[in-house]
Amino acid sequence: MADQTRTIDDAFAPPGVSWTRVSPKLATAYRISLCAVALLVLVGIVALTFIPDYPDVISVIAGGVLLVVVVWLWWLIGRRTGSWGYAEREDDLLVTSGIMFRRLVIVPYGRMQLVDLNAGPIHRWLGITTVQLHTAAATTDASIPGLTPPVAADLRDRLARRGEQRSAGL
Amino acid sequence: MSGGERDPIAFEVVKPGRSAPDEHGRRRVHPWTPFIEGVRWWPGGVVAGVTLAAQLDVKVGTGAILVGLAGLVGVTLLGMAWGFLGWQRRTFWFDEDGDLRVDSGVLSRNERRLQLSRLQSVDVLQPLIARFAGLAEVRVEVAGAGDSKINLQFLTLREANELRNEIIARSAGVRHDVAEAPENVLVTVPPGDLVISLLLRAETWLLLAASILLLATTLWTNGVSGIGFLLVGGIPVFQVFTQFTRYYDFTVAESPDGLRLRHGLLQKTRQTVPPGRVQAVGFVQPFLWRKRGWVRVRLNVAGASSSTQGSGNETYTENVLLPVAPWPVALAIVARVLPGVDLQSIPTIPAPDRSRRRAWIQWRQLAVGWDDQVFITRGGRITERWDVVPHARTQSVRVTQGPWQRSLGLASMHVDSTPGAVKITGHHRDADEARRLAQEQADRASVARAGDRSLRWVAQQHLAGQQTGAATPSAAPHDGGILGPQASEIADLGPTPSAVEPDPGERPEA
Repeated sequence: MADQTRTIDDAFAPPGVSWTRVSPKLATAYRISLCAVALLVLVGIVALTFIPDYPDVISVIAGGVLLVVVVWLWWLIGRRTGSWGYAEREDDLLVTSGIMFRRLVIVPYGRMQLVDLNAGPIHRWLGITTVQLHTAAATTDASIPGLTPPVAADLRDRLARRGEQRSAGL
Repeated sequence: MSGGERDPIAFEVVKPGRSAPDEHGRRRVHPWTPFIEGVRWWPGGVVAGVTLAAQLDVKVGTGAILVGLAGLVGVTLLGMAWGFLGWQRRTFWFDEDGDLRVDSGVLSRNERRLQLSRLQSVDVLQPLIARFAGLAEVRVEVAGAGDSKINLQFLTLREANELRNEIIARSAGVRHDVAEAPENVLVTVPPGDLVISLLLRAETWLLLAASILLLATTLWTNGVSGIGFLLVGGIPVFQVFTQFTRYYDFTVAESPDGLRLRHGLLQKTRQTVPPGRVQAVGFVQPFLWRKRGWVRVRLNVAGASSSTQGSGNETYTENVLLPVAPWPVALAIVARVLPGVDLQSIPTIPAPDRSRRRAWIQWRQLAVGWDDQVFITRGGRITERWDVVPHARTQSVRVTQGPWQRSLGLASMHVDSTPGAVKITGHHRDADEARRLAQEQADRASVARAGDRSLRWVAQQHLAGQQTGAATPSAAPHDGGILGPQASEIADLGPTPSAVEPDPGERPEA
């Protein structure tokens, strides 16, 4: 099976044609959270300037650092959300994610104990949902964020159906 | 042995026998329970009180002692009163489906139902204080996320053993009024070996060093860093002593209803692990044990992780199958847990040489291997580890890769088991190989699940529970009184009736 000419990246290659990617709205959701946190930090930095005898240069430096970090994270969020992907196969679901720390999870349908659908306020506003699979192992960690609600509901129902067909106890 | 054996430290205060069920067939725990609950915190409470008094520089005198005694009596009475209310409102019984039900709670009521077909383990525990009164606690765990267990404290030892037998028999789907299954003692760990094995662990010496350091600084600073003792929960080296008392007189016995583990010097524990419930097995060999050829064996049992949430001193961080044993003995015991698996004959594939740049010390030990039943990983240089998971118990498979591994073209491959001390990880494989191993392991697990026989035990119970249900696929005799998965001739069902229908076209042609 293993083609010797493959490069390292192929360890996380899709099983078939390609991964099903998640909605780019996920990046928007993360960026909104990022901006909210950045805004809070900015308020703190500005507040510091009102302290008498406080050297303004520190605030300027802090602001600069904040800007660099925000730009970097902005870019990283784009890459990271682009790395989420899943693929449904006959017997199992594959989920991959990560840029720096990559991972790939293979979850057999027969091992799924429950499938969760979650959406926080920002995610709901943007119309995206997280599908999370649970097995008896706590380390499974197979969640797929950034799916549109119809896709997520379809996926959940499909997974539940297949899980029931192949249920294998413990 | 049956519950009739005599505990040398028990006073003859409690009359043996069953607590009488009420008109609904519901039973209460032993009436002495509130009393035990009132006094069981004494040792801890007295130590805490004295420590506090010492920290506050309270003068030792009649006044201080009187206040202390008054506090002790007051809190004890309060505890007993509360315990009495709890006792009054706690009932347990087997419902018409044969499941164990417990109603409890004084202010907020809790009704819990344990589906015994999903039984994972039954333990009979005897904390020291309960032993004096000849009482015992029954702890039942079923598979499930979160808190899926019941603690019944306290019953007389005989009653606890009877309840244990009844639970296991009902779970196995056999008649529950038969006598306890006979057992066959496989191995007993000599106390001398246990002491030596504990002394030969680096952990012991680290804890001792920490204790001395803490004691010295406490004396040096006139007691200020005594707070440190509170933070770490006592003198660190006491943990070693706790290990000794916990695993003292460790006995492994085999019986048709599973492996029975008995151990404990102060608190006596009798665990029963029904067949097919072992999710993973791990061998650990600390550096200084190597010369003696000793090894420690740990287990993952589904549902047992929740016992770390247990109250106070009863927390278990690991399930030990054998605290210390020579290799051949350990392998023989594990062979009972994983029938038909010969761990020594499984060929292993080492990690590639370049993994030395990621794992300087243990790279030479890193290896994975498999046969048609289990997957095995090996690692650790100073403390060596061998971890085994049956294919049929594989939950999911993962491949992970950090930046450092990525630069070397390595990746780690994990086989996820239920929460527990045993983690199955093939560290630092060639990245392509890791992916291939993961995929192959998922396929092997799928094949193994389809042919898994150990769940027959569950299926049997399921039929027993489904007697009144509409679609019982194939009626099979389940009241023959023969325990054990091998003996039962029964259709191979999954735990849910809808799972009976296998899809012949589903298996990918490899």
